[in-house]
Amino acid sequence: MFIDTLLIGLSSGAIYSLMALALVLVWRSTRVINFAQSGQAVLSTYIGYEITLRTHNYWVSLPIAIIAGALLGSSIDLLFIRVLTKRVKSGPIAEIAPVIATLGLLGLIQSLIGLIWGNAFLQYPSPLSAKGFTFGTHTIPFSPQNSMIVLSSAAVLAVFGIIFKYTDLGLALRAASFQPEIAQLAGVRVARVRNIGWAFAGSAGAVAGAVITPTSTLSPNSLDLLFVSGFIAAVIGGLDSLIGAVVGGVVLGVGFSFILQYIGSSVTFLMGFIILMIVLLVRPRGIFGSKVGRHA
Amino acid sequence: MRSRRFSPLVHGGLLTLTGAVLLLLSGFVDELRTYQGAQVAVYVIAISSIVLLTGYSGQISLGHGAIMAIGGYAAALSFVKWNFPFEIAILFGVIVGTISGFILGVAAARLSGPYLAGTTLALAVGLPTLADQFRVLGGEQGLNFDIGDPPTWITKIEGSSFTQYKWFFWITTIFALFTLWAITNLLHSSFGRNWRASRNNPVAAGLAGINVARGKVLAFTVSSGLASLAGALFGLLLGLVTPSAFPLSLSFAIVTGAVLAGVGNLAGSIVGAVVLVAIPEFSGTLATHLGNSQKVSANLPGLAMSLLLILVVLFLPNGLGSAQLVKKLYKKFTTT
Repeated sequence: MFIDTLLIGLSSGAIYSLMALALVLVWRSTRVINFAQSGQAVLSTYIGYEITLRTHNYWVSLPIAIIAGALLGSSIDLLFIRVLTKRVKSGPIAEIAPVIATLGLLGLIQSLIGLIWGNAFLQYPSPLSAKGFTFGTHTIPFSPQNSMIVLSSAAVLAVFGIIFKYTDLGLALRAASFQPEIAQLAGVRVARVRNIGWAFAGSAGAVAGAVITPTSTLSPNSLDLLFVSGFIAAVIGGLDSLIGAVVGGVVLGVGFSFILQYIGSSVTFLMGFIILMIVLLVRPRGIFGSKVGRHA
Repeated sequence: MRSRRFSPLVHGGLLTLTGAVLLLLSGFVDELRTYQGAQVAVYVIAISSIVLLTGYSGQISLGHGAIMAIGGYAAALSFVKWNFPFEIAILFGVIVGTISGFILGVAAARLSGPYLAGTTLALAVGLPTLADQFRVLGGEQGLNFDIGDPPTWITKIEGSSFTQYKWFFWITTIFALFTLWAITNLLHSSFGRNWRASRNNPVAAGLAGINVARGKVLAFTVSSGLASLAGALFGLLLGLVTPSAFPLSLSFAIVTGAVLAGVGNLAGSIVGAVVLVAIPEFSGTLATHLGNSQKVSANLPGLAMSLLLILVVLFLPNGLGSAQLVKKLYKKFTTT
């Protein structure tokens, strides 16, 4: 039972990590919490769904959904966030303007999806079996579907890890988020690098949507709770840290899974709030966040 | 405007006058409009709680829907289980909400920006699910909060045409006007000055002897008290409280209303509240003209609200009732 609960937790934790990673990528590049992330992810999932319906092949739709997610993220930055940061600089609104603007964007994307595809719950056919692996007589609640979720999340995390650690682009991304002005002086094209951050985040969200949706249903709001979990995970890990996003996601996934198993389904999110509170009261900037606290 | 001396008495008199006019007017509109008027009054209270918190104290909350739920549930619980009269039940809701707000505020004062947004967001999603956990809170069916017909002393004066909705409108309007009056006074007191100073420059405010952290906790507490008042009145309008009456979208809606109002602008909360009630109404009418397909009517209100929100943040960051706009129009009219 213990191992089963752990395995379920790992599978959902992997998805939370992907969502948290998308949020951290955007936060590091533009200091914006992107509430539209779940909208972007669900829109690219709808695009993948449409392709799957036309081609009857999930594996064709997956890369198209990822590319669509990247393009979406990049264009939101170009058309929207840049205008916003240029226009709104001061006053009481300045701090919450990005939050509000991305919330507005989320509503816009979701109502557009509703206008195109309707608000009904759609079934996204799964490419793999959702039946658990059987060892002898014991069937564990971990299916090929779950292993695809874990493997694809791990793959995305590995790709981003390699890009950030070993490539010039990764160095530019880190420099642009750490010291944008000095990075600019050193010849990093900060605006373009930020845009790449948004594209990466969009594709990470697209992967999350594409691998999780076959286990449930697809609707304009179907990824909202996943976004909230991802956000909690990112905050637990520290919004500045990519490793933090992964650790936060896994901790939250496993934690939720044990709460679900031993306490009950209705208190999961409240427990999430309590876990978050405890972590933040001990470390106000998350586990892997920088140590600089509030000044006053 | 700033330099003119502020007098609570004159201000209170003006608001009383406004109230009297509104209450008289309520006799001339139909039932639906009266009910919508009551909704506007509830939103005014909810939005002004955000204006106080975000505009003046610089904290952000995406979980005020959950605090509204605390107020609504506490009021309904005391109304149903202990047979409190509804006025006392509402007061009880406000007290419980204020205490919870204080506890949350102590934690919130340690957090900044996105961390606070994330924590309150988790609260907004998590708290309403508590109702399923405890039988006393009534699960998905929720709790009854039906205060019945208006009392006899009013129907004696006003006649039998004084309906329940009109009674709701009276209650909510009086609470809303009183809220506006109380907050305006508070913002003109030393508390208000301290909040503004701490928001604009926390380090300098601290050096000047202001306890910044205590101010933040106080702002969160007062704001939660207002939100729970709005929650209790919200339950009263619906006649019951359920978990689904306080969804995440409610928290977003009141923040939206505050931004439409202009987050630093208390009077604007009326504009924000009217827009929140009017948009679904207008887009409903528009959807009927567009052929009334299910897809359109379900998504048009959301589309209109989101577009308006984005346009306001981009082009009128100080809100629809922003001083700049009014000043521009004023200049245009006075110079020609």
